[in-house]
Amino acid sequence: MLRFFGALFLSLLSISSLAADDAWLSLQKSAYAARELNYQGVFVYQNGKQKSSVQITHMNNAGREMTRNVVLDNSSQANQPREVYSQGSDIVIMRQKNQKMVIEKRRGQNLFPAMLPTDLRAIKASYTATLGPKEYIAGREAQVIDLVSNDALRYSYKIWADTEYGLLLKMTLVDNNNKTLEQIEFTQLSTLNSQDVNWFQPKIDVSKSYEMQDKTAVNHVESDWIVAELPAGYVKVDHRALVVPGKATPVDQMIFSDGISSVSLFIEPLNKGMRPKTGRMGIGSTNVCAHVLDGYQITVVGEVPPATVMQIAKAVSFKKQTASNK
Amino acid sequence: MKDQLSALIDGELEIDSADHLIASAKAGGELKQCWAHYHLIGDVMRGEMNTNYSLSSRVMSALEAEPTVLAPNRLQERVDMASVPESRLTVTHSGKFWSIAASVAAVMFVGVMVLQLNQTEELMPVEIAQSVPTEYLQAHQAAAPNGAAYYIQTASFTESKQ
Repeated sequence: MLRFFGALFLSLLSISSLAADDAWLSLQKSAYAARELNYQGVFVYQNGKQKSSVQITHMNNAGREMTRNVVLDNSSQANQPREVYSQGSDIVIMRQKNQKMVIEKRRGQNLFPAMLPTDLRAIKASYTATLGPKEYIAGREAQVIDLVSNDALRYSYKIWADTEYGLLLKMTLVDNNNKTLEQIEFTQLSTLNSQDVNWFQPKIDVSKSYEMQDKTAVNHVESDWIVAELPAGYVKVDHRALVVPGKATPVDQMIFSDGISSVSLFIEPLNKGMRPKTGRMGIGSTNVCAHVLDGYQITVVGEVPPATVMQIAKAVSFKKQTASNK
Repeated sequence: MKDQLSALIDGELEIDSADHLIASAKAGGELKQCWAHYHLIGDVMRGEMNTNYSLSSRVMSALEAEPTVLAPNRLQERVDMASVPESRLTVTHSGKFWSIAASVAAVMFVGVMVLQLNQTEELMPVEIAQSVPTEYLQAHQAAAPNGAAYYIQTASFTESKQ
């Protein structure tokens, strides 16, 4: 009898671990599908009270990944991106600024629906994946996958992946009370059958002049600032010096990520006339924590719980030995 | 005419029928500007940002002229403060003043500097909820490894004011 229960227990255990494996496999398939398939559609992004519809065209032409995102409802807001083009990891954003079009370049961001990195190892350390029910999104059958945070230092995600192709159809960010903070989902989706690439060029508005945005960041810098103890699972992924017009000194920016959630730490000297900021606030899914350390303004920003931004803000310090050598 | 120019650059207009466009683009003025802008867009899209069109090179040289300090520190802060009263004095006083009383001016620099340093310390910290740091939010969105938030951002990072 005992043996029977033992065997039953073992088989249940293997079933549940198989189910978890299946959930991770689905996420892995989803990460690749977003990059390898050819598709077009419309998705809606919502954060707090703000909402935006975007038309997307994605093509993988023999390993060369091309995406065009056109923001559909931005007539009221100046400065909003109108078109976002990406090729591989290069991203070009065109936005309207008064009567000019400003061109901005970025690198290496995972844009919807390619929100999941193809390497899931970092995420596996901090989240648990489980398969949920099947639901319909934009007329497609989707497998629900819950990506639940293992601790209170990050929010959880709910992911809807196309059961046939794996493509991520919908994703929500939920807090620890199961409240949805941020949502992005396809409302229309179809496969792209043509090999034509004529869509991959911006529509030039002849009534406007175009200019490059001044470079605002120098990537991969080093400085004497250290964050003594990062919240579990987070690692530093970049360190930049932001050149901000009107500010005498560049702003130090460090970016930390647990594989999917990310936090930025900003450090700048409090120059004359600058009013120091302290305290904490939340806007939609974003939490901000500010405090002053030794004549410097410390600001931490991220789509993470308040505890995480506060922990990072408190862990900042200056490398003393290097400072005294100067 | 700009429409035709755009079509020409996109290869949608026969080069033989575009003599008038090329002539006026060469002649300068608005059409020459457009020519440079449209090529800039093409270069950016193709990832060829190192080519030497006038607009991008002007941006680059402006950037080179800007001093870049990689790590902010307190020494830099003082230097910047000293430079502000210097320019003010140059505007309000004649060269004669300088030649006679350079040492007095030097003392004044220090005086003004100390005054301003004190002012900085007198500013009371404000609760962050009263003043949303938009520039930080946008810089975070621009650097985050994955993001959708910039589809709804309302202002550009470079336009932030102190």
